[in-house]
Amino acid sequence: MFLNMKLLSHHGLNGFGGMGEGMSMQLARDGRRILWLAHESAPKNFTAVDVSDPRAPKVVVQTDLPHAQMRSNSLEVAGDLMAVAYQVTKFGLKPAGFELFDVSVPESPRSIAFFDASGPHSRGCHQLWFVDGKTVHMACADPEQKPRNPKDDQVYRIVDVSTPTKPRAVGRWHLPGTMEGDDAPPPERLPGKFDAGFRAHNTNVYPQRPDRCYLGYIDGGIMVIDISDPSRPKLVSRWANSPPYNGFNHTVLPLFERGLIVVSDESVKDNAGDWPKLVWILDGRDERHLVSIGTLPMPPVDAFKGRGGRYGAHNLHENPPVPGAWKSENIVLGTFFNGGVRAYDISDPYSPREIAYFVPEAPEGSKIGAVQINDVFVDDRGIVFTVDRHNGGLYALEMKV
Amino acid sequence: MIPDGRTPVFVVTGFLGSGKTTLVNRLIATPGFLDSLVVVNEFGEVPVDHHLLQAAEERAVALPNGCLCCHLRGDLEETLIGAAMRRRRGEIAGFDRVIVETSGLADPGPVAQTLYADRALERDFKLGPIVTVVDAADADLGLEVAKSQITAADVIVLSKIDRSPDFSGVENQVRALNPHARYIPARFGDVDPALLEKSGTDHVFSPVAHHDRGIRTFVLKFDAPPRKDLLERFLALLVELRGADLLRVKGIVGLDGGEHVAVQGVRHVFDRLRPIENRPSTGLVFITRNMAELDVQALWQAMSSLKGAS
Repeated sequence: MFLNMKLLSHHGLNGFGGMGEGMSMQLARDGRRILWLAHESAPKNFTAVDVSDPRAPKVVVQTDLPHAQMRSNSLEVAGDLMAVAYQVTKFGLKPAGFELFDVSVPESPRSIAFFDASGPHSRGCHQLWFVDGKTVHMACADPEQKPRNPKDDQVYRIVDVSTPTKPRAVGRWHLPGTMEGDDAPPPERLPGKFDAGFRAHNTNVYPQRPDRCYLGYIDGGIMVIDISDPSRPKLVSRWANSPPYNGFNHTVLPLFERGLIVVSDESVKDNAGDWPKLVWILDGRDERHLVSIGTLPMPPVDAFKGRGGRYGAHNLHENPPVPGAWKSENIVLGTFFNGGVRAYDISDPYSPREIAYFVPEAPEGSKIGAVQINDVFVDDRGIVFTVDRHNGGLYALEMKV
Repeated sequence: MIPDGRTPVFVVTGFLGSGKTTLVNRLIATPGFLDSLVVVNEFGEVPVDHHLLQAAEERAVALPNGCLCCHLRGDLEETLIGAAMRRRRGEIAGFDRVIVETSGLADPGPVAQTLYADRALERDFKLGPIVTVVDAADADLGLEVAKSQITAADVIVLSKIDRSPDFSGVENQVRALNPHARYIPARFGDVDPALLEKSGTDHVFSPVAHHDRGIRTFVLKFDAPPRKDLLERFLALLVELRGADLLRVKGIVGLDGGEHVAVQGVRHVFDRLRPIENRPSTGLVFITRNMAELDVQALWQAMSSLKGAS
């Protein structure tokens, strides 16, 4: 299925095509464009693909995890430094935290530091944001804290890596009431089948507002956090849609020139069992009072929910403030699992329009009979890169709008 | 930049036997046109597998080369909205353009009007080039419908030039009716698709004045960039007074705020003024029937003057 998007190439990543939500482009010193990809689950850690020619991508390196009870899921490259998240499947396992690599020679990533966040109440790091080469913002457990509910282990953490060999934790924030010792009462949880936790997910910080973190907080909604003093992050505002919706707020994308904030949910149940999982547009002109003014028009749920696996919103192209990345305040791209990758014109934020999409066929060997498009990154040539969660690997697309 | 994700609708018209189907078949066989939705009046003229056809009934039929084919039952609006809905629901793969092959006796004006006038349709589709096929060996230009087809065209394909190596006589007659279109001589429909792609709504007639047999073509130039609202009222008044005789109006106009807009109209219906970037002003090219250039200019002058005096 397609509209204004054409497949340039598809790469199965050597049979390990189950990809997470870490996609970051390195403009290598030798002129190549290297796309670094985090795997969704073991056995692989990350894969680097030379996408200089998007019609002929080439894998330049693919690495293994130390064991199968963990996953990387998320990574970011800043210059020649790459941070890779490590999340474990059980509390107390290691390695949990993130690893820093020197990727100046993409074929030979060299580990230079590890930030340990393991502990009896920790699953480590699920997602990280690293765009300035100095600071890692992440959704990661803090071993010094004990969550009242084990699902709430991953908080917002700030780590100074300006000396890359010596990462140093400098700040943290969690929703009051979720940790032992908090004065606030525990938050009211969503109904059992939708209770995914009050914990951090995406932790975006942009140079336009270096004193703000735009924080997705799963069942807790989204937060704007004042990090002007990174050792003491403070809540500026919170917007929540659940209940009555079914939680799992994921990504918060501010569009600074337009005073808008785009928020994605994540669908986590097969067959749209947690529908509706949407992409929301907020009026963010006054950051203290966020107002929902619309959602992106997805195709009808009845046409997609039975196609296999998940159908609903997930990741967005986040306008990462790094060289090589495409930035737009009028076009938003998101991933929708079996709904593929979709682009929306939000030049009128009250009336967003779908202008392009691509839904690959079910990948070869798919157990669910459908693609599960998981993440998207658009480079400054306008090439759309997107990945499948299970086994489809990497798709390079040309967008014609 | 405001992105435009709408799918262009190519209208292929031409008198009976002029070579429309040959042209469409050649187009959809070229690599750049593989993902087309072809809307025809009768199946059988395009290479549809008839077994597939029976199974699919009214639904779009996948052609062996990857294109889709739709039988135009009911009206075009219904067909296109249905195709857009099925595409959105993932019931058909997708298409980059629609090619509507009109019947030989059809005036293409109403097709363009359908696309401009229907707001539901306008969300998903935009008018692409109107391509009129003229038989270079056997053109009958005296018929009103043939004139309508020629005057509405963005592109005129002079077909069957293998049978009529000296087609300059026919070409001159056709140019007398429409001097602004792009002319493409063709054997067996062998037209470069890229030329058609470039001749869509962004293609503007070359500003040449001409008149013949009651059909006039002229260019309205603006002394100063007009106000958008005044331009809209001017066009609306023209439509109200003589819409049936505005065979085609097209151009790029620089407005007083610095914005450039594309103007597109066929008879009674005009597309909304759409912003267009990086294109010089051309003025408005008119192809009219029994309308004097001076009258149109006078109307604009009068409206401009009155606006200034108020």
